[in-house]
Amino acid sequence: MPTVEREVLVMPTGFASREAASFIAQLDDQSARLRDDTRGLTPEALAWQPAPGMNTIGMLLAHNAIVEAFWTQVGPLGLQKPYEVMSVLGIGMDDDGMPIPEDGEPPATLRGKDLAFYDDLLARARVYAREAASKLTDADLEREIVRTRRDGVIHETTMRWVLYHMVEHFAGHYGQINLLTHQYRLVGTRV
Amino acid sequence: MTTTLQTLLEVPPGFRSDAVGRFMWQLDEQRRRLLADTRELSVEALAWQPAPGMNSIGMLLAHIAYAESHLTQVGLEGKPTSDTKAAIGISEEEEGMPLVEGAAPSPALAGRDLTWFDQRLARARNHTREVALALSDADLLREVRRQRPDGTQRVFNVGWVLYHLLEHEAGHHGQINLLRHLQRVSGFVGP
Repeated sequence: MPTVEREVLVMPTGFASREAASFIAQLDDQSARLRDDTRGLTPEALAWQPAPGMNTIGMLLAHNAIVEAFWTQVGPLGLQKPYEVMSVLGIGMDDDGMPIPEDGEPPATLRGKDLAFYDDLLARARVYAREAASKLTDADLEREIVRTRRDGVIHETTMRWVLYHMVEHFAGHYGQINLLTHQYRLVGTRV
Repeated sequence: MTTTLQTLLEVPPGFRSDAVGRFMWQLDEQRRRLLADTRELSVEALAWQPAPGMNSIGMLLAHIAYAESHLTQVGLEGKPTSDTKAAIGISEEEEGMPLVEGAAPSPALAGRDLTWFDQRLARARNHTREVALALSDADLLREVRRQRPDGTQRVFNVGWVLYHLLEHEAGHHGQINLLRHLQRVSGFVGP
C-alpha cells in the first residue's frame, strides 16, 4: 500500500467568507509546518544569535505572534490606535525585541523561554485571528483601510491585503527560522 | 511632505478567474520586493555561504525560479514531468538543492551574475502568468496525483499549488534577506 501525502488547504468551518477562510487555512498550513520544524529546539537554540544584532529563532516566533495579533486588530477587528497585544498574548508589542539594534542582544523578556512558551503565543494569536476573520464577509474583504505608520507614512490598503500580508509575513520569517535552525545545528557559534 | 503607500491587492486584467488573478497579484508583489532587495548584489555576494553546506543567495534565487517552473508545469498545467532546462535554463541537478553536508554551491551557478538569475526568475514568472490566465475557479479544485521515486503518492490541487508558490517564494525571500544581513555582520565585503 503506497503512502499518500495529501497537500490541499483544509478550509476551516464557520466562516462567513470562503476567501477569508482560505487565508486562515493558509496560516494553519504554515503553522503546522513551522511546528514540525521547531520540535526539539531547546531554550539555548531558541536564544542563539548568529552574531550580535541579529534575530534569534525565539524573537522571530514571538514576532510572528505579535504581528498576527496586531494585523488582526488593524484589519478584521477594525480597531484604532493605540494597538496593544498584551491582553491577547501576555507580552507587549515590543517584547519581541525587533527591530534589534545594531550589536544588540535578544530582549530580556524572552530570556530562558522554552518552546512551549512560543507555541502558546502562536496559538493565542491564531485563535484571535481565526475568531475575527470568521466574521468577515466577502464584501468586507474589499473594505479600504487607511492607517498612519510609526514612520509617518500613510498606508492605504484593503482587508484582503491585510490577510495576504499575515500569510506572507509569517512565511518569510518561517523561512528564516529554518535557516537559523540549520545554521545552529551546523555551526552553533557566531560568525 | 507625507508619503502614501498603496497596497490594494487588485485583480490584474485578463484573468478568467478573479481568485487566480489575486494569487498572481500576490506572487508579483513578492517578486517586486525580492527584486528590490537583491539589486546590486555582486557575483561574490550571490555565491557567498555562511558555512559549507549552507545555501547561497544565488542558489535560493535559482531554486525559486526552478521550483516555480517545475510546479507550474506539473501542478498548474498537469504535465506528467517538467522540463525546466528548456523552460528557464536550469535543471534540478543544476540548482543544487538540497545541498550536501559540507558542500560548496552548485558548480552550475559559479560565476553567475544577478542578470542571469533575474532572467531565470522572469522566464519562470512569464510562463506561470501565461498558464494562470486561462485557469478557472473550477480548476482550483482540480486534483493532481504524482508518484515520487520512493513510491509515495503525492496528491495536491491547483489552489494549493498557487498558495505554495507564494509561501515558497516568501520563505526563501526571508532567507535571502537573512543571508544579506549575515554578510554585513560577518565582514563580507564584495568587490
